[in-house]
Amino acid sequence: MSKKISILLKMLVFPAAVMLVTGTLGSMTGAQAATQSGSKIEQLTQSMSYAEYQKRYEKYYGNFTAQMAENGNPADFLIDDGKDLANKVVGSKGKSCASCHGKDALKLKGAATTFPKYNAKLKGVMTLALQINTCLKNQMGAKPLKYESYDQLALTLYVKSLSNGMPIQVSIDGPAKPFYEKGKIAYYKRHGQLNFSCAICHVKYAGYKARSNLISNNKHHADHWPCYRLKWGKTGSLQRRFRGCMKNMRVKKPPFQSEELRNLELYLTYIDNGDRIQVPGMRM
Amino acid sequence: MPQGIGKIKIRLPRTVRKGQIITVKTLIIHPMETGLRKNKKTKKKIPAYYINDVSVYYGDQLITHENWSIAVSANPFMSFDLKVDKAAPLKIVWKDIKGGIYQKTVQIEPR
Amino acid sequence: MKKNDFSHSRREFLKKTGFASAALLSFSALSSVIPLGNGKAGNWIGPREAEAAPVKEDIKDKLKATFGNRKIEMSHVTMKAPIIAENGAVVPVNISSDLPMEAGNYVKKIYIFVDNNSNPFIASVDLSPANGRAAFSLRIKMRKTSPVRAIVETSKGKLYGTTKIVKVTIGGCGG
Repeated sequence: MSKKISILLKMLVFPAAVMLVTGTLGSMTGAQAATQSGSKIEQLTQSMSYAEYQKRYEKYYGNFTAQMAENGNPADFLIDDGKDLANKVVGSKGKSCASCHGKDALKLKGAATTFPKYNAKLKGVMTLALQINTCLKNQMGAKPLKYESYDQLALTLYVKSLSNGMPIQVSIDGPAKPFYEKGKIAYYKRHGQLNFSCAICHVKYAGYKARSNLISNNKHHADHWPCYRLKWGKTGSLQRRFRGCMKNMRVKKPPFQSEELRNLELYLTYIDNGDRIQVPGMRM
Repeated sequence: MPQGIGKIKIRLPRTVRKGQIITVKTLIIHPMETGLRKNKKTKKKIPAYYINDVSVYYGDQLITHENWSIAVSANPFMSFDLKVDKAAPLKIVWKDIKGGIYQKTVQIEPR
Repeated sequence: MKKNDFSHSRREFLKKTGFASAALLSFSALSSVIPLGNGKAGNWIGPREAEAAPVKEDIKDKLKATFGNRKIEMSHVTMKAPIIAENGAVVPVNISSDLPMEAGNYVKKIYIFVDNNSNPFIASVDLSPANGRAAFSLRIKMRKTSPVRAIVETSKGKLYGTTKIVKVTIGGCGG
C-alpha cells in the first residue's frame, strides 16, 4: 500500500519539478528578449579577424569552390544573355538600354560600385535590381521584370560585371544615413522563433561551426552577388540568400526589394566598402 | 531550370603551341534529371532527362568518348587533356536520352 | 534508399521520457511563458515522406561485373576531391594518372564509382593516345558520405585505382 502511494507521489512530484524549472527558464528568456527587441544595438564582439577565419575555412573546406568558379561557372551564361538583353528594344517607347547608355550599355561601367544608394524620388534605398526595373518602367515604358527571374538576374549580372575589379564605394552620408542605421538595427535585432539575429552568427560566432557548417564572416559577403550557388543549382541574388537565412531563423520573410531587405543590403554592402566587385561568384 | 538547355562554353588556353598538352574545359547547361526526384507540389516523379553520351572529335578522329550515368551534376562541367599536333577543328557532341544533340566546334590553331 | 530505422535503445528512451516531455510541452503551450516569436508554424520542417526506394546495387558486385576477377593495383592514379562537400549534388572530382600515353601503351579507360549511390557507376571515359595525358575532371552527385573510386584500365589490360572518402553534410544553414 505504502509502495503504491510513494509511486503516485513520485509521479506527481516529478512533473511539478520539471514545470518549475522550465517556468523560470522561460520567464528569463522572455525578459531577455524584451530588452533586446527595442532599437538598441546589442554589443557583440567580433569572434576573430578575417584572416583567421580564412585560415579556418581553407583548413576545413579547401579552395575547391574558388577552383570551380575558375574552371567553369554556369552563371557566365547569364552575363552573355544580359548583354543581348541590354541591346534588345522593349516597351512602348521603342528604346533599349543601349539607346541611353551607349552600345552594350558600356557607359554604365563603374555604375554598380555606388549601389545601393539613396534615391530622393523613392525616399529610400535604391538597389541595382530595383533601378533596372524602374528604368524599364519609366524610361522605356516596358513591363518590369519579375525579381529572381532569369532575365532580371541576367541584366543585373551584366551591368554589375561591367564594374568588375572596381572597389565598392557606397555612401551613407546625408539622407542615406537613417536607412543605414535601420539596416544596422535589422542586422543586430533578435527576432524569429529561435531568437537569432544576423549578427549573432556572423559577428559573434563567425568562424565557429553550426553543426557541420562553418559560419562565414560578414566581411566580403556582398561583393560577388548575384552568384551561382551550388545548393540552389541556380544563380540567385543576395536578397534571395537573406530570405533563406530568415527561413532558417523562423522569421516571416519580407518580399523581394521590400524596404527591410534593401536597408539590410545597404548595411552589408557598406561593410565591404573598398573591396573589389567580382561577379559572378560561386558559393557552396 | 529549363532556360537555355544546350548552351555550351568551351575554354582553351589563349596561346597554343605545337606539341603542347592543353586542358580543354567545357560547360553545358542541362538539368540532368535523375528520374528519382519528386515534384514537391504534385508528388509525381519527374521523368529522367540526362546526358549519357559525349564524344570529342579532333579533326575527323574520335579521341575521347564518355558514358555518363544519372549521377553527373546538373550543368555538367567536364575537362580533358589534348595533345596539339595539328591545326584542326575540335568538335564536342553531347547526346541526351530524349534524343537531344548539342554540339560545338572550336578551331585549334597552334603557333 | 534505406528507411530510417531508429535503434532499439532510442525507442526505449523515447518511451521512458515521453511522459516528462509531454508534461513539458503541455505546460509551455498552456502558459506560453516561453516566447515563440513571430515565426509561422508552417516554417517547421516536417518528417520526410517515404520515397520509393530504388534498388541499391552493391559496389562489390558492380566491380566484379565490370572487371571480373582482375586485380586492381592501388598506384599511379591521383584523385583530387574535396574532403567535405556541403552539397552532395555538386562534388568536383579530378583524376589524373602518370601512366604513359603512347601508341600501343596508353590509358584506355577511366571509371568513376561512388560506393553509396544507388547506382555506383558514375561515368566511364574512353581515351586515346591523342589525349597526351590521362586526366579528366567532372562534377558528380553523391547521395551521402561515401568513398569515391577512380579506376584506370590500360591498353595492356592492367588495372590501377585509388579511393578517397568525401563527406557529404546536409547543411543546417543555407536557405
